[in-house]
Amino acid sequence: MDTKQVQKLLTGGKMSDESFITLFMIGVLVVAFGLASSVVPNFYKPQNMLNLITNNWFVVVLGIGVTFLLITGNFDMSVGGNIALTGVLAVYFCQGVNSAPNPLANGLGLPYPIAIGLALLCAMGVGAVNAFFIAKLKVPSIIVTLGTMMLARGAAQVITEGAQRNNGLPDVFGVLGSLGIPGTTIRLPVLVMIALVIVAFIVEKRTVFGRRIYLIGANPEAARLSGINVARYLTALYILSGLLAGITGVLLASETKSGMSSRGTGYEFDALVVTLLGGVSIAGGFGSVLGMAVGTIILSVVTSSATGLLLSVDWQFILKGAVTFIAILAQRFALDRRKG
Amino acid sequence: MNNANKATLQLQLDRSANVRAVVKQFYIYVVLALIVLVFSVLKLDKTPLFGRGSFLSPDSVINLLRTAVPILTLSGAFTLLMISGYIDLSVGSALSLSAVVFAWLILNGFSFWPAILLTLMMGIGLGAINGYIVMKLRITPVIATLVTLNLFKGIARLIVPKGVSAIKSSATQTMPGWINDFARKEVFLGLPAAFWIAVLVIIVLVIVQRQTLLGKYAAAIGGNRLAAELSGINTVRMVWLLYIIVGFFAALAGVARASYMSLGDPLAGEGMELDCIIAVLLGGTAFSGGEGSVAKTIVGALIIACVTVGLMTVIPAFWQTVAKGSVLVGAVVLNHLLVREKVKA
Repeated sequence: MDTKQVQKLLTGGKMSDESFITLFMIGVLVVAFGLASSVVPNFYKPQNMLNLITNNWFVVVLGIGVTFLLITGNFDMSVGGNIALTGVLAVYFCQGVNSAPNPLANGLGLPYPIAIGLALLCAMGVGAVNAFFIAKLKVPSIIVTLGTMMLARGAAQVITEGAQRNNGLPDVFGVLGSLGIPGTTIRLPVLVMIALVIVAFIVEKRTVFGRRIYLIGANPEAARLSGINVARYLTALYILSGLLAGITGVLLASETKSGMSSRGTGYEFDALVVTLLGGVSIAGGFGSVLGMAVGTIILSVVTSSATGLLLSVDWQFILKGAVTFIAILAQRFALDRRKG
Repeated sequence: MNNANKATLQLQLDRSANVRAVVKQFYIYVVLALIVLVFSVLKLDKTPLFGRGSFLSPDSVINLLRTAVPILTLSGAFTLLMISGYIDLSVGSALSLSAVVFAWLILNGFSFWPAILLTLMMGIGLGAINGYIVMKLRITPVIATLVTLNLFKGIARLIVPKGVSAIKSSATQTMPGWINDFARKEVFLGLPAAFWIAVLVIIVLVIVQRQTLLGKYAAAIGGNRLAAELSGINTVRMVWLLYIIVGFFAALAGVARASYMSLGDPLAGEGMELDCIIAVLLGGTAFSGGEGSVAKTIVGALIIACVTVGLMTVIPAFWQTVAKGSVLVGAVVLNHLLVREKVKA
């Protein structure tokens, strides 16, 4: 194949910019994985490859909501705090009434399904609060969601008195987190993640709702003039993001049978990083859930190879930052070249 | 009759506009006074108003002002940046990193002046990095500074040796006692040098905002970047300069914090970006930039300091995050109401 053909393959054709960036990031992933395999012993083993995907299920679940919001040009930094709040609430609702002298062991004694339902409602409530400030009062999303992050985490700290609740829980509380495919390391949360990604992919590509999200991001004024109720879409997306954080919080709490006020610290940044790695642009209506999923695997290749090279945990902050910058610049460069 | 009606209506409108303008002008001082009043009355049954242990006792006021030094030093420059419509979320990490570096230099035998100069130069560098990424690489300010937040945090944590929580005296090295002098030793009126430098910084920045081209340009860029560019302002260079100024004062605040705690804590500046945002919003600076006041931000910073210190004596520590979150949301609502009114009037 001569160079012209290659160029035509890259620039022409019917491939959209989004698919192009997703493919580009898959290429980056392959290269990163190859590099990591050649440096870190045993990196290429199937079990390790599986772990790369399964260990970060929560980032992908959060990333779905964050991706849709970022496509509309809005941030959600409250997901980490929301995870802590939902987990703590699920535990608090489930704990028996007057079961022990320790106040942290006493809860409301609700049946498990009701407790979970209420906790998820609260998570969606946090999303609704975000939506009210952002869609109705037009306050910048970054400031509002940083505020609700503090409120959610603060509420979790108040309920747990700054520590955690893990006493007096019924056995059924731990079931969700421990279910899985027998004989493998694949557990229920991973299956939830896969199901959610598939649903999100269909919503994004095949529904009116999904396509309108892109229009809102590309040009909110045009979206409004063409009859889209932008405020209602943003509200739906923030409540969705809250619900996803809630699901994550409930599953993590079930996995460890405890509600910790510090759980989920920094997850909002991870979710944002993988979204950016997946090629979502805040500048307007661009990006995809699939790209975000690829971004998550890239991030987990980078961080887990750093762990494999015995770098201290503190390196992860620097690695995440550096990878994000490189990804943003590389994607922009690639898109510019493609446009020619 | 009709005309008279119109005239009365106009008068009423004028009056309500005037009332709003007055409210906007002075509410923040009233808020500060109310908060001080509440905290000083709370313990009136136990001690007299200015007695030992009360909120307004000389010891307590000095302590409050000493702990407020970092935010007083930093929030003025932060206001200038927000007036120009940009934001720096990395200030907390820049502060932590500066505290760690300053403490590390002192621990490794540097004397005060070289250590502080090196730290301040590093602060300029950190600000320049932010400015470069935002203005030259054109990455959205929120994303760019969120990423540098984590970069700076990572570097600060890497400098601190494994197994210890901060740069401090160890079996092999001792932190000199004089590291404390800058932020604790009395210079004038019971307050240390760091506080008086913060006061000087505030005065200079108020003048910069009101009287100099930099202040006018910041407002012009925040008001309408394109218009500012077309009228010949080099926006890239101006905003870059503002990022550098913010980085410089973040480093100065870090030095003050390290000196106050006599150690280099990589968590020293955690949440400082939110404190700065709260102070700026309380001070009535518009979200989108274009107008604002350094002086009022400082009053906002004092409000935060009073709330933080005051609440510590009243409620358990695990209520602090909720309290601060509520203050932030309250500031957002207040700011929304005031700025909206401005637009209508």
